Amino acid sequence: MNDETKKQINQRYDRELQRGERFWPDSIFKDVIVSLAIFIVLVLLATFIGVENSPKADPSDTAYIPRPEWYFLFLFKFLALYGQIPLLGKVEWLATVLVPTIGIGLLTLLPFIDKSPWRYYTRRMLPLTVMGIIVFDMVLLTLVSDIPTVSESGSKLPGILQTVMGLAIPGLALIVLYYLAYRRGEDSPVAPMLWTSGLAAVLMVGFAAATFIVAPPVAKTEETVANTLIEQISAGQDLYSVHCVECHGDDGKVTVIEGVEGLEGKEISPINGRDMLYTLNDAAIAEVINYGRPDAGMNPFGKAYNPEGLTKSEIDYIVTFMRYNWDDRFEKPVMKPLFPSLADGEVPSYDVHIAPIVKRYCISCHRAGKDNNNFLMTSYQEILTTGDQADKNLVKGDMNSYLLQVIQGQAILDEKGEELIGVMPPKGHLPTDVIDVWIRWIMNGMPQTAEEAAALYVPPTPVPTPTP
Amino acid sequence: MWKKVYDWIEERLGLKALYDNLLDRPEPKGNWWNTLGSASLFLFVIQGLTGIFLTVYYTPSPDHAYDSIQYIMNGVAFGWLIRGIHHWGASLMIIIVFVHMLRVFVTASFKYPRELTWLIGIGLLLLTLGMGFTGYLLPWHQMAYWATTVGTQIAGSVPFLGDFILKALRGGPDLSALTLQRFFAAHIWLLPAALAGLIGVHLYLIIKHGESHYPSRDE
Repeated sequence: MNDETKKQINQRYDRELQRGERFWPDSIFKDVIVSLAIFIVLVLLATFIGVENSPKADPSDTAYIPRPEWYFLFLFKFLALYGQIPLLGKVEWLATVLVPTIGIGLLTLLPFIDKSPWRYYTRRMLPLTVMGIIVFDMVLLTLVSDIPTVSESGSKLPGILQTVMGLAIPGLALIVLYYLAYRRGEDSPVAPMLWTSGLAAVLMVGFAAATFIVAPPVAKTEETVANTLIEQISAGQDLYSVHCVECHGDDGKVTVIEGVEGLEGKEISPINGRDMLYTLNDAAIAEVINYGRPDAGMNPFGKAYNPEGLTKSEIDYIVTFMRYNWDDRFEKPVMKPLFPSLADGEVPSYDVHIAPIVKRYCISCHRAGKDNNNFLMTSYQEILTTGDQADKNLVKGDMNSYLLQVIQGQAILDEKGEELIGVMPPKGHLPTDVIDVWIRWIMNGMPQTAEEAAALYVPPTPVPTPTP
Repeated sequence: MWKKVYDWIEERLGLKALYDNLLDRPEPKGNWWNTLGSASLFLFVIQGLTGIFLTVYYTPSPDHAYDSIQYIMNGVAFGWLIRGIHHWGASLMIIIVFVHMLRVFVTASFKYPRELTWLIGIGLLLLTLGMGFTGYLLPWHQMAYWATTVGTQIAGSVPFLGDFILKALRGGPDLSALTLQRFFAAHIWLLPAALAGLIGVHLYLIIKHGESHYPSRDE
């Protein structure tokens, strides 16, 4: 750029200043308004959406699907699509290092690459359209980032569609744009270049839409995270009821294990007393659960030993539960009831009442891999259909359903008088309100959802007072 | 009386000169797109302030990071608000810095005499992304841990130097307490200091050359 052009530019700027505004107050006024709006938006987002939580980091949980921050998703998708290209796709660093470096390099050196003094858009068609295509591609790649390249049925179509959308069309468009720009020399043809980028954008949107139709984004699996102390204690109690109750009992005071295969008669120390709770801190208890105590018969429960084991967060919840229930230095907060209490004539449902009860009292044994006459209770369907006595366990409207008998202390005997099903639970017994829920549920047809249960609600008929 | 106090301060601080040179300047006619730069600055300040509050309770160790943030969210008065603003402010800052960069690109404001302003602006964009990357690990939850595992793996794919970069970022072959510690140090000392310094130069250049005007047909 020669001095003459520089002088022209500076004179032009001085003229613009003459008919411009003042920094204070004109520009500052607008800046303050925008800043204020941003602040309000942030407060609203923090208040009404909050921050998504996730369980504690667990290096042994290798099944976790990693996902970067949202602003790096386009790069992630780009890498995944690049991997689709035969041969070239195997050379990883081309995409992870070379392409981003070239991109950032071009962006940084932009003032020294685009040295023409022209600023109006018609004279800068090439940079504008190229940047437009790239930014548009980044947005679309971010949008499709949750769609895998291979569909659940093993079809590679979503990956192909995405590669066409994210790499092929934009790449082709860039080549056409460069060709159009340099064919005519100085003056770039405005209309053809706008048409080219517009057409490319429409095609990209089309392929993005096709991707969404062929392979709808997989619904994210909800991770339950206990945020408050009450939620943590409750989650810990549920986990304890499933994983620990068999050996340690529901109150943790078991000293000799009964009825557990392989550990029958093993002497263990109670885990609900001061000996244990005063001498081990939270981290030490968590380590015992995580790594086990082989000599004392305690199995390791951490994910490192068992892919289906407990995560770090889950172990922490169990420790919290133990502390607040058995450690006399801790004061247990007022807990929410396991299920909402029932009014007269109200019918309980599986979702609201039975599921939490089953989780707390039954699943420990009634899940796959345990000695339970094949009666599994982890879902509504399983409760109704599994078990050696599936046809007699739960019978709608029958007080003699096996399940109702055994939870009320009545073992089921076969013809020879031998015990077919013992009383449930094997040790201790259910609280009366829990037995009441079971009776009402089975007698009223075992509805699954709260809506179905509400439909069965019969308001109690007032007892007619005898007229004298 | 007030006049006397003002004169005394004015004599020593020279506020009038400051006002004349910084605030009472002519500018070309602008529109709302011109506020994106100051919006980025505002977000930087907000992130700094909320970040300082968060360091009061946050502990950068694998044993306590997660629990300390749980405590900020549930135990500290208005902790959820401070963390919420910091969390959303980070995302918003990246959007706004990026759109600000696009605006400058579209109006070709990076051309003579503002080439250096652009160069420093790119530095600011990269540092902002670096702040996002380092800050994301600090909650030490599953999302953070695995995102950083993969992120550093990508940095490790650089030919020849990859292994060195990976170990330098992680402080060893695996993500550990050292990784958390150095990401924390980068997030609260290194990168903010670099950002603040570059923002200073960026602002000086903007005041020196003035904001660019919107080009018309003959330019």
